[in-house]
Amino acid sequence: MSVSEAEAELSEDERAGLELIRQSGGIHQSDFWKELDVSSRKGSRIAEALASTGLIEREDTVYNGHNTYYLQPAAKDLDFALLMAGDMLSPFIGEEEINANSDAFSQWLMNLAYDDY
Amino acid sequence: MAFEDLLNDPVIQKYLHELVGPTGMPVAAAPPDGEVTDEELAEDLDLELNDVRRALFILYENDLATYRRVRDEDSGWLTYLWTFEYENIPENLKEEMHRLLEAIEQREEYERTHEFYLCEVCSIRFEFGEAMDFGFECPECGSPLESMENNHLVDAMTRRVDNLRDELNVDATS
Repeated sequence: MSVSEAEAELSEDERAGLELIRQSGGIHQSDFWKELDVSSRKGSRIAEALASTGLIEREDTVYNGHNTYYLQPAAKDLDFALLMAGDMLSPFIGEEEINANSDAFSQWLMNLAYDDY
Repeated sequence: MAFEDLLNDPVIQKYLHELVGPTGMPVAAAPPDGEVTDEELAEDLDLELNDVRRALFILYENDLATYRRVRDEDSGWLTYLWTFEYENIPENLKEEMHRLLEAIEQREEYERTHEFYLCEVCSIRFEFGEAMDFGFECPECGSPLESMENNHLVDAMTRRVDNLRDELNVDATS
Protein backbone atom coordinates (compact mmCIF):
# COMPACT_ATOMS: atom_id res chain seq x y z
CA MET A 1 0.00 0.00 0.00
CA SER A 2 1.38 3.43 -0.90
CA VAL A 3 1.64 6.29 1.55
CA SER A 4 -1.28 8.22 0.11
CA GLU A 5 -3.49 5.13 0.22
CA ALA A 6 -2.55 4.51 3.85
CA GLU A 7 -3.42 8.10 4.60
CA ALA A 8 -6.81 7.88 2.90
CA GLU A 9 -7.79 4.95 5.13
CA LEU A 10 -7.17 6.71 8.45
CA SER A 11 -9.99 7.34 10.92
CA GLU A 12 -10.79 10.91 11.85
CA ASP A 13 -8.90 10.65 15.17
CA GLU A 14 -5.86 9.15 13.45
CA ARG A 15 -5.88 11.90 10.85
CA ALA A 16 -5.98 14.57 13.60
CA GLY A 17 -3.10 12.78 15.36
CA LEU A 18 -1.02 12.64 12.18
CA GLU A 19 -1.66 16.33 11.58
CA LEU A 20 -0.53 17.17 15.13
CA ILE A 21 2.69 15.14 14.75
CA ARG A 22 3.47 16.76 11.42
CA GLN A 23 2.80 20.27 12.69
CA SER A 24 4.86 19.83 15.86
CA GLY A 25 7.66 18.11 13.96
CA GLY A 26 7.90 15.68 16.89
CA ILE A 27 6.05 15.21 20.17
CA HIS A 28 6.17 12.92 23.22
CA GLN A 29 3.26 10.52 23.48
CA SER A 30 2.47 11.83 26.98
CA ASP A 31 1.83 15.29 25.48
CA PHE A 32 0.26 13.91 22.35
CA TRP A 33 -2.95 12.58 23.91
CA LYS A 34 -3.38 15.68 26.05
CA GLU A 35 -3.11 17.96 23.01
CA LEU A 36 -5.48 15.77 21.06
CA ASP A 37 -7.87 15.85 24.01
CA VAL A 38 -8.34 12.06 24.15
CA SER A 39 -7.59 9.51 26.91
CA SER A 40 -4.02 8.24 27.25
CA ARG A 41 -5.24 4.80 26.24
CA LYS A 42 -6.82 6.11 23.08
CA GLY A 43 -3.79 8.31 22.33
CA SER A 44 -1.60 5.23 22.58
CA ARG A 45 -3.83 3.29 20.16
CA ILE A 46 -3.76 6.15 17.65
CA ALA A 47 0.04 6.42 17.82
CA GLU A 48 0.40 2.66 17.41
CA ALA A 49 -1.90 2.62 14.40
CA LEU A 50 -0.03 5.48 12.72
CA ALA A 51 3.34 3.83 13.37
CA SER A 52 2.13 0.55 11.87
CA THR A 53 1.24 2.30 8.59
CA GLY A 54 4.74 3.81 8.42
CA LEU A 55 3.34 7.36 8.42
CA ILE A 56 5.17 8.17 11.65
CA GLU A 57 8.14 6.84 13.63
CA ARG A 58 7.66 5.85 17.28
CA GLU A 59 10.71 5.47 19.52
CA ASP A 60 11.10 4.58 23.21
CA THR A 61 12.29 7.47 25.29
CA VAL A 62 12.39 8.81 28.83
CA TYR A 63 10.67 12.15 29.31
CA ASN A 64 10.14 13.99 32.62
CA GLY A 65 11.35 10.89 34.42
CA HIS A 66 8.92 8.41 32.91
CA ASN A 67 8.98 6.02 29.97
CA THR A 68 7.07 7.18 26.95
CA TYR A 69 7.42 7.30 23.18
CA TYR A 70 8.66 10.05 20.93
CA LEU A 71 6.46 10.41 17.86
CA GLN A 72 7.77 12.06 14.72
CA PRO A 73 6.85 12.29 11.05
CA ALA A 74 8.36 9.52 8.91
CA ALA A 75 11.59 10.45 7.12
CA LYS A 76 9.87 10.07 3.74
CA ASP A 77 7.84 13.22 4.49
CA LEU A 78 10.96 15.37 4.63
CA ASP A 79 11.69 17.89 1.91
CA PHE A 80 14.75 16.29 0.33
CA ALA A 81 15.06 19.23 -2.08
CA LEU A 82 16.89 20.97 0.78
CA LEU A 83 19.89 18.82 -0.23
CA MET A 84 19.98 20.63 -3.57
CA ALA A 85 21.62 23.91 -4.57
CA GLY A 86 20.58 24.68 -8.13
CA ASP A 87 20.88 21.29 -9.82
CA MET A 88 23.71 20.13 -7.56
CA LEU A 89 23.17 17.55 -4.83
CA SER A 90 24.96 17.77 -1.47
CA PRO A 91 28.62 16.93 -2.20
CA PHE A 92 28.87 14.85 1.00
CA ILE A 93 26.75 12.02 -0.37
CA GLY A 94 28.95 8.97 -0.80
CA GLU A 95 31.73 10.62 1.25
CA GLU A 96 32.88 9.29 4.61
CA GLU A 97 33.77 12.67 6.11
CA ILE A 98 32.27 16.09 5.66
CA ASN A 99 34.78 18.77 4.72
CA ALA A 100 33.24 22.22 5.06
CA ASN A 101 36.12 23.78 3.12
CA SER A 102 36.24 21.42 0.14
CA ASP A 103 36.08 22.80 -3.41
CA ALA A 104 32.98 20.76 -4.17
CA PHE A 105 31.19 22.30 -1.20
CA SER A 106 32.32 25.81 -2.23
CA GLN A 107 30.78 25.14 -5.63
CA TRP A 108 27.57 23.96 -3.95
CA LEU A 109 27.45 27.17 -1.86
CA MET A 110 28.01 29.35 -4.95
CA ASN A 111 25.05 27.61 -6.58
CA LEU A 112 23.02 28.24 -3.44
CA ALA A 113 23.80 31.95 -3.39
CA TYR A 114 23.29 32.25 -7.16
CA ASP A 115 19.95 30.45 -6.99
CA ASP A 116 18.75 33.04 -4.51
CA TYR A 117 18.85 35.92 -6.99
CA MET B 1 8.88 -2.49 -10.52
CA ALA B 2 8.90 -1.67 -6.82
CA PHE B 3 9.25 1.63 -4.94
CA GLU B 4 7.79 3.76 -7.73
CA ASP B 5 6.66 6.46 -5.26
CA LEU B 6 10.24 7.02 -4.18
CA LEU B 7 11.74 6.76 -7.65
CA ASN B 8 9.48 9.52 -8.95
CA ASP B 9 11.30 12.00 -6.72
CA PRO B 10 14.02 13.71 -8.81
CA VAL B 11 16.22 14.19 -5.71
CA ILE B 12 16.13 10.45 -5.05
CA GLN B 13 17.02 9.72 -8.67
CA LYS B 14 19.94 12.08 -8.37
CA TYR B 15 20.98 10.44 -5.10
CA LEU B 16 21.05 6.97 -6.66
CA HIS B 17 22.94 8.29 -9.66
CA GLU B 18 25.51 9.86 -7.34
CA LEU B 19 26.02 6.51 -5.58
CA VAL B 20 26.20 4.05 -8.48
CA GLY B 21 27.24 6.33 -11.37
CA PRO B 22 25.90 6.27 -14.93
CA THR B 23 26.83 2.61 -15.63
CA GLY B 24 25.07 1.37 -12.51
CA MET B 25 22.02 3.54 -12.97
CA PRO B 26 19.92 1.03 -15.00
CA VAL B 27 20.28 -1.39 -12.06
CA ALA B 28 19.48 1.22 -9.40
CA ALA B 29 16.58 2.81 -11.31
CA ALA B 30 14.54 -0.35 -11.86
CA PRO B 31 14.39 -2.41 -8.67
CA PRO B 32 12.31 -5.55 -9.27
CA ASP B 33 9.83 -6.90 -6.72
CA GLY B 34 11.22 -9.68 -4.57
CA GLU B 35 14.52 -11.49 -5.04
CA VAL B 36 16.66 -11.41 -8.15
CA THR B 37 20.07 -12.77 -9.14
CA ASP B 38 22.84 -10.64 -10.61
CA GLU B 39 22.71 -12.78 -13.75
CA GLU B 40 18.98 -12.18 -14.23
CA LEU B 41 19.53 -8.44 -13.89
CA ALA B 42 22.41 -8.47 -16.38
CA GLU B 43 20.25 -10.37 -18.86
CA ASP B 44 17.11 -8.23 -18.38
CA LEU B 45 18.99 -4.94 -18.57
CA ASP B 46 21.49 -6.07 -21.21
CA LEU B 47 24.47 -5.09 -19.06
CA GLU B 48 27.86 -6.58 -18.23
CA LEU B 49 27.68 -8.84 -15.18
CA ASN B 50 30.55 -6.91 -13.58
CA ASP B 51 28.70 -3.60 -13.87
CA VAL B 52 25.59 -5.13 -12.32
CA ARG B 53 27.61 -6.59 -9.42
CA ARG B 54 29.43 -3.34 -8.83
CA ALA B 55 26.13 -1.41 -8.61
CA LEU B 56 24.61 -4.03 -6.29
CA PHE B 57 27.54 -3.91 -3.89
CA ILE B 58 27.41 -0.11 -3.75
CA LEU B 59 23.71 -0.34 -2.90
CA TYR B 60 24.57 -2.99 -0.30
CA GLU B 61 27.16 -0.72 1.33
CA ASN B 62 24.52 1.99 1.59
CA ASP B 63 21.91 -0.32 3.18
CA LEU B 64 19.84 -0.21 0.02
CA ALA B 65 20.16 -3.88 -0.94
CA THR B 66 20.72 -7.19 0.85
CA TYR B 67 21.59 -10.66 -0.43
CA ARG B 68 21.46 -14.26 0.65
CA ARG B 69 23.68 -16.96 -0.76
CA VAL B 70 22.30 -20.26 -1.94
CA ARG B 71 24.46 -23.22 -3.03
CA ASP B 72 23.32 -25.02 -6.13
CA GLU B 73 23.24 -28.70 -5.18
CA ASP B 74 24.29 -29.97 -8.59
CA SER B 75 27.06 -27.59 -9.54
CA GLY B 76 28.12 -26.57 -6.02
CA TRP B 77 28.18 -22.94 -7.17
CA LEU B 78 26.96 -20.10 -4.98
CA THR B 79 24.09 -17.97 -6.22
CA TYR B 80 23.45 -14.53 -4.77
CA LEU B 81 19.79 -13.63 -4.36
CA TRP B 82 19.39 -9.89 -4.04
CA THR B 83 16.61 -7.86 -2.48
CA PHE B 84 16.36 -4.09 -2.93
CA GLU B 85 15.76 -2.28 0.38
CA TYR B 86 14.77 1.14 -0.89
CA GLU B 87 12.53 1.78 2.11
CA ASN B 88 15.83 2.88 3.73
CA ILE B 89 16.33 5.73 1.26
CA PRO B 90 14.37 8.35 3.27
CA GLU B 91 16.35 7.54 6.43
CA ASN B 92 19.65 7.84 4.51
CA LEU B 93 18.63 11.19 3.05
CA LYS B 94 17.55 12.42 6.46
CA GLU B 95 21.05 11.61 7.70
CA GLU B 96 22.50 13.47 4.70
CA MET B 97 20.39 16.50 5.61
CA HIS B 98 21.90 16.44 9.11
CA ARG B 99 25.42 16.20 7.66
CA LEU B 100 24.77 19.05 5.25
CA LEU B 101 23.37 21.19 8.07
CA GLU B 102 26.52 20.61 10.13
CA ALA B 103 28.76 21.54 7.19
CA ILE B 104 26.88 24.76 6.41
CA GLU B 105 27.00 25.77 10.08
CA GLN B 106 30.78 25.25 10.19
CA ARG B 107 31.34 27.11 6.95
CA GLU B 108 29.01 29.94 7.96
CA GLU B 109 31.19 30.62 10.99
CA TYR B 110 34.28 30.74 8.75
CA GLU B 111 32.60 33.06 6.23
CA ARG B 112 31.46 35.42 8.98
CA THR B 113 34.83 35.67 10.69
CA HIS B 114 37.10 36.16 7.67
CA GLU B 115 37.67 38.90 5.14
CA PHE B 116 38.07 38.02 1.49
CA TYR B 117 39.72 39.51 -1.58
CA LEU B 118 38.93 38.64 -5.16
CA CYS B 119 40.84 38.61 -8.43
CA GLU B 120 38.07 39.61 -10.81
CA VAL B 121 40.02 38.35 -13.81
CA CYS B 122 40.73 34.82 -12.54
CA SER B 123 37.70 34.59 -10.20
CA ILE B 124 39.97 33.35 -7.42
CA ARG B 125 39.19 34.26 -3.83
CA PHE B 126 41.86 34.88 -1.20
CA GLU B 127 41.69 35.28 2.56
CA PHE B 128 42.91 38.63 3.89
CA GLY B 129 46.23 37.14 5.09
CA GLU B 130 46.94 35.46 1.74
CA ALA B 131 46.04 38.63 -0.16
CA MET B 132 48.43 40.63 2.02
CA ASP B 133 51.23 38.09 1.42
CA PHE B 134 50.74 38.60 -2.32
CA GLY B 135 50.81 42.40 -1.88
CA PHE B 136 47.13 42.50 -2.95
CA GLU B 137 48.08 41.38 -6.45
CA CYS B 138 46.83 38.19 -8.05
CA PRO B 139 49.70 35.62 -8.13
CA GLU B 140 48.28 34.21 -11.39
CA CYS B 141 47.75 37.34 -13.51
CA GLY B 142 49.06 40.30 -11.49
CA SER B 143 45.71 42.16 -11.38
CA PRO B 144 44.91 44.08 -8.20
CA LEU B 145 42.83 42.13 -5.65
CA GLU B 146 39.58 43.80 -4.66
CA SER B 147 37.89 43.57 -1.29
CA MET B 148 34.91 41.22 -1.59
CA GLU B 149 31.60 41.25 0.23
CA ASN B 150 30.18 37.85 1.15
CA ASN B 151 26.96 39.04 2.81
CA HIS B 152 24.84 37.61 0.05
CA LEU B 153 26.46 34.19 0.40
CA VAL B 154 26.14 34.25 4.19
CA ASP B 155 22.46 35.25 3.93
CA ALA B 156 21.76 32.35 1.58
CA MET B 157 23.54 29.98 4.00
CA THR B 158 21.59 31.30 6.98
CA ARG B 159 18.31 30.76 5.17
CA ARG B 160 19.20 27.18 4.25
CA VAL B 161 20.33 26.47 7.82
CA ASP B 162 16.99 27.79 9.12
CA ASN B 163 15.05 25.67 6.63
CA LEU B 164 17.03 22.53 7.46
CA ARG B 165 16.68 23.03 11.22
CA ASP B 166 12.98 23.59 10.81
CA GLU B 167 12.54 20.52 8.63
CA LEU B 168 14.68 18.27 10.87
CA ASN B 169 13.24 19.70 14.06
CA VAL B 170 16.70 20.67 15.31
CA ASP B 171 17.02 23.52 17.79
CA ALA B 172 19.53 26.26 17.11
CA THR B 173 22.72 25.52 19.05
CA SER B 174 23.92 29.09 19.28
